[in-house]
Amino acid sequence: MIFILPFVYILLMAVKTKQEAALFLFAWPSEWRAWENLVEVVQTRNYMLLLAYFNSTVITLGAVTLLVIFGAMVGYVLQRRRSPWNRVVYVFLLIGLMVPPAVVPTIWVLQNLGLFKTIHGMILIQVAYGLSFAVLLYRSFIASIPRALDEAAIIDGARPWQVFFRVILPLLKPVTVTLIVVQSVAIFNDFTNPLYYLPGRENVTVQLTLFNFQSQFQSQYNLLFMNILLVTIPPLLVFVFCNRQIVAGMTSGGVKG
Amino acid sequence: MSSVVLSDLCKSFGAIDVIRGVDLVIEPGEFCVFVGPSGCGKSTLLRLIAGLEEATSGTIRIDGKDVTDAEPSARGIAMVFQNYALYPHLTVRDNIGFGLSLARRPKAEIRARVEAAAEALQLTHLLDRKPKELSGGQRQRVAIGRAIVRDPKVFLFDEPLSNLDAALRAQMRIELSDLHRKLGATMIYVTHDQVEAMTMADKIVVLNGGRIEQVGSPITLYDTPASPFVAGFIGSPRMNLYDGRAVGESCATYGIRPEHLKLTDMAPRWRGTVRHVERLGADTVIHLDVPDLGDMVVRADGDRNPPIGSMLGISPLPGREHRFP
Amino acid sequence: MTTRRRSPYPYWFVLPAAVVFVTLFLVPTVASFWFSLTRWDLFEAEFIGLENYRQFFREPFLVQGLVNTLIYAVVTSGAKSVLGLLLAVLLTSGIWFQGFLRSVVFFPVLVSTIGIGIAFAALMHPTRGAINLALAAIGIEGPAWLSDPALALYSVALIDIWKGVGLATLIYIAGLAAISPDYYEAARIDGATAWQRFWRVTVPLVRPATVTVVTLSLIGGLRSFDIIWATTRGGPGFASDVLASVIYKQYQAGFYGLSTAGNVILFLLIGVIVLPMTWGCSKREVDVGACAAMAPVAA
Ligand SMILES: Nc1ncnc2c1ncn2[C@@H]1O[C@H](COP(=O)(O)OP(=O)(O)OP(=O)(O)O)[C@@H](O)[C@H]1O
Ligand SMILES: [Mg+2]
Repeated sequence: MIFILPFVYILLMAVKTKQEAALFLFAWPSEWRAWENLVEVVQTRNYMLLLAYFNSTVITLGAVTLLVIFGAMVGYVLQRRRSPWNRVVYVFLLIGLMVPPAVVPTIWVLQNLGLFKTIHGMILIQVAYGLSFAVLLYRSFIASIPRALDEAAIIDGARPWQVFFRVILPLLKPVTVTLIVVQSVAIFNDFTNPLYYLPGRENVTVQLTLFNFQSQFQSQYNLLFMNILLVTIPPLLVFVFCNRQIVAGMTSGGVKG
Repeated sequence: MSSVVLSDLCKSFGAIDVIRGVDLVIEPGEFCVFVGPSGCGKSTLLRLIAGLEEATSGTIRIDGKDVTDAEPSARGIAMVFQNYALYPHLTVRDNIGFGLSLARRPKAEIRARVEAAAEALQLTHLLDRKPKELSGGQRQRVAIGRAIVRDPKVFLFDEPLSNLDAALRAQMRIELSDLHRKLGATMIYVTHDQVEAMTMADKIVVLNGGRIEQVGSPITLYDTPASPFVAGFIGSPRMNLYDGRAVGESCATYGIRPEHLKLTDMAPRWRGTVRHVERLGADTVIHLDVPDLGDMVVRADGDRNPPIGSMLGISPLPGREHRFP
Repeated sequence: MTTRRRSPYPYWFVLPAAVVFVTLFLVPTVASFWFSLTRWDLFEAEFIGLENYRQFFREPFLVQGLVNTLIYAVVTSGAKSVLGLLLAVLLTSGIWFQGFLRSVVFFPVLVSTIGIGIAFAALMHPTRGAINLALAAIGIEGPAWLSDPALALYSVALIDIWKGVGLATLIYIAGLAAISPDYYEAARIDGATAWQRFWRVTVPLVRPATVTVVTLSLIGGLRSFDIIWATTRGGPGFASDVLASVIYKQYQAGFYGLSTAGNVILFLLIGVIVLPMTWGCSKREVDVGACAAMAPVAA
C-alpha cells in the first residue's frame, strides 16, 4: 500500500480542478478534468512540454546509441587484449562510476568547446558519465564469448571491425537490451545534469519542465501533477514491457557470492 | 596441395618459451598429426601456422611462400576448432558462407559453394538451422564445411573430435580420412588420442616441451622410437621402461612393450607376482610386481586369468627389445 | 621480424570513447583540484591557495552541509539495506502476488525523482498533507516534516528510502536466490528456529549482496541532489543542505572557486568512504563491475 498510494495520489491530483487540487486532499475528485488539464499543461508556455519531450527523446536516443557502441567496443578490446594499461583503465572506470562530476570545471570545458547549452553537448556528457557502467557491463559479458569465435572469423578473412560488428556485436544482444533499458530510464529521468549544462528555455528537458512549472504553477497543483503524470509515463511503459530485462540488468552477476 | 615448411620456429609468451626451435617439413597432401603431452605446445604450433600467434623467430613457408608475417586469411589455411567455434547467431548456411560473404563473392556463387560443401557432408537438410539446434557431430560437420568452402591449401585441426562420444569419434575418424583422400589437401591435425594418431596419420610429429622428439610414420614410431619419451608415448598400454643396469644391460634405458612379453615357465628372464588383472576380452592386461624392477605390464591372451598373488615367469620376444643409449 | 602484424583488437576501437571520457570527465575532474585553489569567474582564475577551503570550514552552514551529507548517506543506506533485506525475505517466502508485489516495490526506482519529490512535498504538507490528515484521523498530531528544521533532512531521507528501497530489495532477492537450499535444510535438521536460520544462515550468506547495496546507496546518498532540491531546496534555512546542493548554490551565486572546492571535498569524501569498501568487495570476489551495474539508477 505504501508503495502504491503516492501514485494514486498523483493520479487523483492530476484530474482535479484547480480549486480542489489546492486543498491537497487525498480525496476522490468531484469532477474529472483529465482531458482539460492535459490540454492545458501541454499548451502552457508555447507548448514547452512538447519541446521538452522532443529534447529529452533526442538526448536519450543519442546518448544511449553512443553508449552501446562505445561501451561494447571498449569492453571488447579491454577484455580481449591483455596489456599493462588494462589496470589503469580499470581504475579510471571505477572512478568514473563512483566520483560525481566536477560541475563548474565541466561547464568551463564545455564552453571552451562550444558545447555548453547545446543538445549534442548534453548527449556527450551523458555518454561520458554512463560509459563506465556500459564498459564494465559489456566487458564481463564478452568474457563469456569464446575467443575461438573471433579467431574463426579472422581465419575467414574478417577485418577487426568486421569481427566486432558482424560476430561479436550481434552476440551482445541480451546485455545491449539491458543497457538500453537501464540507461534510457536513467538519462530520461536525469535532472541534475540538464540543470547545470542546459540552462535556457529552448533546450529544456522533461525533468526541467517539472522544476520550472513547480514555481509557475504555485496555484495550479492539478496541472503540476498532470505534468508529473506525463513524465512518469515513459518509465512506466518501459517498466511494463521490459521488466525482465531491467531485473536482469540490475542484478546481472551483481552477486556472485 | 601445398607443403608446409617450418624452420627454426620459436615462440615465447613473455619469459616462457613455448616453442623452442622447430624444424619440420610437411609434404603436399600429407596428413600430419601432432601429438605430445598436455602443455607441450601442440596448439601453439598449430596457431603459429594459422597465423593466430606471431612467431618470435624463425619462418613459416606454405607452398614455398614465406607467410611468417602474413595475415591468417592470406595464408590459404582453414581451421577447425575443438569447440567448433560456430557463429551462434548465424544459420548453418551463413556459418559456412561467412568467409565468402566477407570476401564479397556474388550471392549465387556463395549459395552454390555452400550447398556443394553441405552436400559433401550430408548437411543439406540442416542448412537453415542455428548451431544450437544441432548435435555435436553435426556441429563438427558444419565446422568442417566452413573449412572446406574456403578451398584452403592447408587444413588445420585442433583436437576436433575430443568433444564427441566414443562411437561418434570412430565414425568421424573414418569420415575425416575419407575427406582427406577425396580432397587430397594437406592436413595438420592435433590430438591427444593414440588411436587417431596411429590410424589417420601419414606422419606423426611427437612434441615434448616445445621441441620435436621424433618425426615419422606411425609404424616407424612404433617399431623404432628414437627416445624413451617417444617409446612411452606411442603404444598402449605404454612400453615398460627400466634403467639399463637394473636389467643387466649396458644401455641407459631398456624398454619392452607389453605385447612383446610372453608368459612362460621355461627359463623365464624375470619372475613377478600378479598384482592386478584387467580382462579386456580379446586380451588380458596383467600387472606384475618384479623384484628389483617394480611394475611390469604384460599383454596376454584373452583367456588367461591368473589369480592375484600368483607367481609368473616372463620373457621378452627376441628382436623386440629397445635399448636407448 | 620487421613487419609486425596488427592486432585483431585495435586500440582505435577505444579512441572515440576515450576522447569523450577524458575531455568531459577526467579533464574537469583533474582541473577541479586547481580551480578549487582559485578565485574564478570561468575566464580568469586567480590563485588564492587554500582560501576556499578555509572559507568552507569557517562558514557554519557549509560545515553543516558536510555533516548533513554524512548523516543523509548513512541513514539512507542503513535503512535501505535493512528494509531491503526484510522485504526480500518477505517477497521470496512465497506469499501471494509475489511477482506483482516485487514490481510494485521496484517501480518507484524508475520514476522521475523530481516528480516524486513534488508529490511528497504535497503529501507531507504540515496541515493539509494527506499524511498528517491520516495521522490525525487516528489521533496523532503529525510533525511538520519538511518545514521543521530539525526534521527536514530526515523527511527527505524518508522519501529517498521509499524511492530506493526497491533496488536494494531486488539485489537482495538475487542474493537470496544464490544461496543453496542445502544450507537451510542442514540448519533445519540441526534444529534451528526460523529466527536462528535468518541470523545464522541468511544474513552471513547474503553478505555480497549487502556489500553491493551498502556501497551503491552510500555513493548515491553522498551524491544526492535531485530529491533534496525538489522538496526543500536545502531549507528551511540551511537545515537540509548537503554538499551537492551547496555546490549548486555556490555555483548559482557565482562563487565558482568555492563551488569547485565543495566538489573536491565531495570527491575526497567518497574516496575515503567508498574506496576501501569496493576494495574489500573485489577481494571477496564480488564483481565490482556488477556492483556497478546499478549505479546509473542509484545515482
Ligand atoms: N596466450 C598464452 N600466454 C601464455 N602462455 C600460454 C599462452 N598460450 C599457451 N601458453 C602456454 O604454452 C604452453 C603450451 O600450450 P599449448 O596450448 O600449445 O599446449 P597443448 O600442447 O596444446 O596442450 P593441450 O594438449 O592441453 O591442449 C602451455 O604451458 C601454456 O600454458
Ligand atoms: Mg591444445
